[in-house]
Amino acid sequence: MGKNFLRRMDPWLVLATAGILIMSLVIIGSATHINTPGQERYWYVQRQGIFALVNIAIAAFFMNFDYKMLEQYGNKLYVFNLVLLVAVMVFGHSALGAQRWIMIGPISIQPSEFSKLIMIVSLATMLTDKVGKIRDLHDLLPIAAYVGLPFLLVLKQPDLGTSLVFMAIFFGMVFAAGINWKLLAGIFAVGIASLPVVWHFMKGYQKMRIMVFMDPNVDPLGSGYHIIQSKIAIGSGMLFGKGLFHGTQSQLNFLPENHTDFIFAVVGEELGFIGAAFLLLLYLIVLWRGMKIAQDASDVFGRLLAVGITSMLAFHVLVNVGMTMGIMPVTGIPLPLMSYGVSSLTTNILSIAILLNIQLRKQKLTF
Amino acid sequence: MNEQEDFSGRLKVLAGLMVLVIAVLIARAGYLQIYEGDYYAELADGNRIRIIPAMAPRGTFYDRNGELLVKNRPGFTVSLLPLTSPISDDVIARLSDLLKVPTEEIQQKIAAHSGFDPIRIKQDVTPDIVSILEEQKELYPGVVIEVQPIRDYILKQMGSHTFGYVSEINDTELEKLKDQGYKSGDIIGKFGLEKVYDKELRGQNGGEQVEVDVSGKPVKILGKKEPIAGDDLVLTIDKNLQQAAEKAVDDQLAAIHASAAAAVVMNPQTGEVLAMVSRPAFDPNLFAHGISAKDWNALNNNPAHPMDNKTITGEYPPGSTFKIVTGTAALTEGVVTPDELIMDTGHHWIIPKGNSGGEALGLINFRQALAHSDNVYFYEMGNRLGIDRIEKYGRMFGLGQRTGIDLPYEAEGLVANRAYKAKWFEDGEWYLSETFDAAIGQGFNLVTPLQACMVMSEIAADGKRYKPHLVKRMLNPDGSVAKEIEPELLSTLDVPPNVIKLVQDGLHDVTKYGTAASSFRGFTIDIAGKTGTAENSQGRDHGWFVAYGPFDNPNICVAVIVEQGGFGAQSAVPIGRKILEAAFSENAQENSN
Repeated sequence: MGKNFLRRMDPWLVLATAGILIMSLVIIGSATHINTPGQERYWYVQRQGIFALVNIAIAAFFMNFDYKMLEQYGNKLYVFNLVLLVAVMVFGHSALGAQRWIMIGPISIQPSEFSKLIMIVSLATMLTDKVGKIRDLHDLLPIAAYVGLPFLLVLKQPDLGTSLVFMAIFFGMVFAAGINWKLLAGIFAVGIASLPVVWHFMKGYQKMRIMVFMDPNVDPLGSGYHIIQSKIAIGSGMLFGKGLFHGTQSQLNFLPENHTDFIFAVVGEELGFIGAAFLLLLYLIVLWRGMKIAQDASDVFGRLLAVGITSMLAFHVLVNVGMTMGIMPVTGIPLPLMSYGVSSLTTNILSIAILLNIQLRKQKLTF
Repeated sequence: MNEQEDFSGRLKVLAGLMVLVIAVLIARAGYLQIYEGDYYAELADGNRIRIIPAMAPRGTFYDRNGELLVKNRPGFTVSLLPLTSPISDDVIARLSDLLKVPTEEIQQKIAAHSGFDPIRIKQDVTPDIVSILEEQKELYPGVVIEVQPIRDYILKQMGSHTFGYVSEINDTELEKLKDQGYKSGDIIGKFGLEKVYDKELRGQNGGEQVEVDVSGKPVKILGKKEPIAGDDLVLTIDKNLQQAAEKAVDDQLAAIHASAAAAVVMNPQTGEVLAMVSRPAFDPNLFAHGISAKDWNALNNNPAHPMDNKTITGEYPPGSTFKIVTGTAALTEGVVTPDELIMDTGHHWIIPKGNSGGEALGLINFRQALAHSDNVYFYEMGNRLGIDRIEKYGRMFGLGQRTGIDLPYEAEGLVANRAYKAKWFEDGEWYLSETFDAAIGQGFNLVTPLQACMVMSEIAADGKRYKPHLVKRMLNPDGSVAKEIEPELLSTLDVPPNVIKLVQDGLHDVTKYGTAASSFRGFTIDIAGKTGTAENSQGRDHGWFVAYGPFDNPNICVAVIVEQGGFGAQSAVPIGRKILEAAFSENAQENSN
């Protein structure tokens, strides 16, 4: 393909992604510079920036390969995914009671981040010859079981957030694969009916988060504290924001985890409604181009892949931003391309790269 | 082709959903930032949010009849609320003067503090200080009074080893308990029942997230969580009996000029502990608001260790009380018949060990030997059984292992055995003289007073061994029962009923014509008992007494030891008698009710 793929890449997607990444570095810098002493003041920004560049380089290299190769590896990746998730359980470090990490040298890897993308690739492989053939429970069960196994492993970690992402991916892709409407309605009915059972198996702090979501005053000193403070941060940003590095809530430690899960609160406080809406519109462009690429893809595998990736990104944005504004429960899902974190950043840049790869290969059909 | 069209349709639905998601998020941001923006801006202005924690009242303790034993009282804590501007030196100086806390200490506390919850300057201040602070509010900006529950041990040092005490969590404990929701500054149980049942007793702390004005005065509550009180404990302890036992021990210690003793009273049919005394004792109230260095040193440097609960951590040679075990073993193993007469010439014919007073009782049978606590008879039993079988029966009675009572730091005791000797002594070989010593409860054997009480209880309950426990039930804050603790049968002695009967009869004789008879002359209730004297290489011997009654239908079992009290019959028996009197008069009252 040579150099000319640079010229043929979807400019909307590339520019929107670049815009989000630049905002991310600026906001992480603002969120962390107060709490980090002297020389290490820009440690987080540097680290995130370096990893962004490394990931972009890797992504550019992979542009030389056709995404269709992934289809051959779908099942192997699936097995690899399971091994990875079991490894987290056995060797993982726990932090904050919920997330699990594996240390590889100086980098702590969060395999559940990567497992989302791997899941999309494996599921796309599996669904390719099932498109339009998901009519009844008999057709659906093998697919559900296929996603269910890694889903349960993630749930067991426990990482409720990532397991919900798995469900979003599953529904997005199965829907695009033409699942029968009645069957879909049936799943939702059963899902809602089984909520009490799910509740029963949830951990104490998970229940608390749901209760806090219903009413933050249930736990104003614990997780309700995050929500109240995050809403104050965003609300007090008003139309134009307090200016970068001037958000009182974010800068004075009122808002914990402000460079990771609650980064949107910093955007809202320091850049105001204008900044927040601008960021959300950038996400809208990414999602819109994602769906467009799915539409134009040269094969079924590519379409499903693009739908899976876009569903994943959309769900992340909804749950994370919704959480900071008190309309979604606290689940510890990062904001794609914005939140500080190597595993999440890598997964999302690779996801965008796959979208671009699908887009670049669509012309083959017309040749 | 149809498939392709269907696919496009579905993608349009998904795309529509995504547009909706972004639209909802933008709308929400607009609502918070534009419509409600002024409100939130005001809240954020000057960081007006403070957290005021509310400590949950700790569960209280009741005795088995509902009498209050340990409660909470409100205490006033003077705290500083962090303000946007630093607290002025004037205020600190004024506060230091009023509270008699050095200014450096206050400044240190302010410097060490981060976050927005109050900085505690002094706990449990007097009402005068509270009224001065209330009246002269303007002179003390940023100073607030918090009302916090403070543990109140209304019986002072009575029952202190059982109830335990509470105090602020330390760094090591915090590190261990962080995951379970414990926070820095929490009050936790450090000893006794307070420690064992801390999770049930502590409840859940609450608090308020409040908006304050410039002077730190709360103006609006933004979020509130009511503290949830901890569970109350209904103990198996009988307050009257506990009081009587403490008095009996104290009177006797004063009379014979001894300083350390322990007593346990329990119901052999259930394992319920009715009273527990350890001397010397301490006042747990000293710990409730930080113990002074002087008081702490006084407790720590006392050679009689007031902080030890001797009923479960004191390990003493069982002395002649161990003859219950040896006797049970000899009869069960058939090495002697109840009627076989053994000649006591004052000392044993193989090794010249004899009775402590040097007396010779002549030809005696099992019951007489037990009643008079004849050493020569039991040396011979040891000779016939061998150390391994004595060890087996000792363990069958539950010796050499923790009883499992719901108190911390229980000791295991020790059953004399070959492996122990081989492990710890240069000359690891076992000698017959050591078997002789073991047979009469000297030498390597060690028991806690609770274990001694358990051995007697097992005989009283026809071989049944119940787990000793101190909590009868737990009550929810609303008074409903959270948990009922049922008696737990741990094991049953693998011994024929007639053997137990013979041992019971022998122990009955002890109080009729044996070693404790003179002390129980005129006692109206039929009882069984056993005296003992534990050799003490450090000083005077320790005196033992164990007993149970009423003989036909026992519901009281008692064990008493007086450290360096000399013969059990003279030191421990008088305490035992007073405790039994008190217990049976309680019995009588309950029956008449």
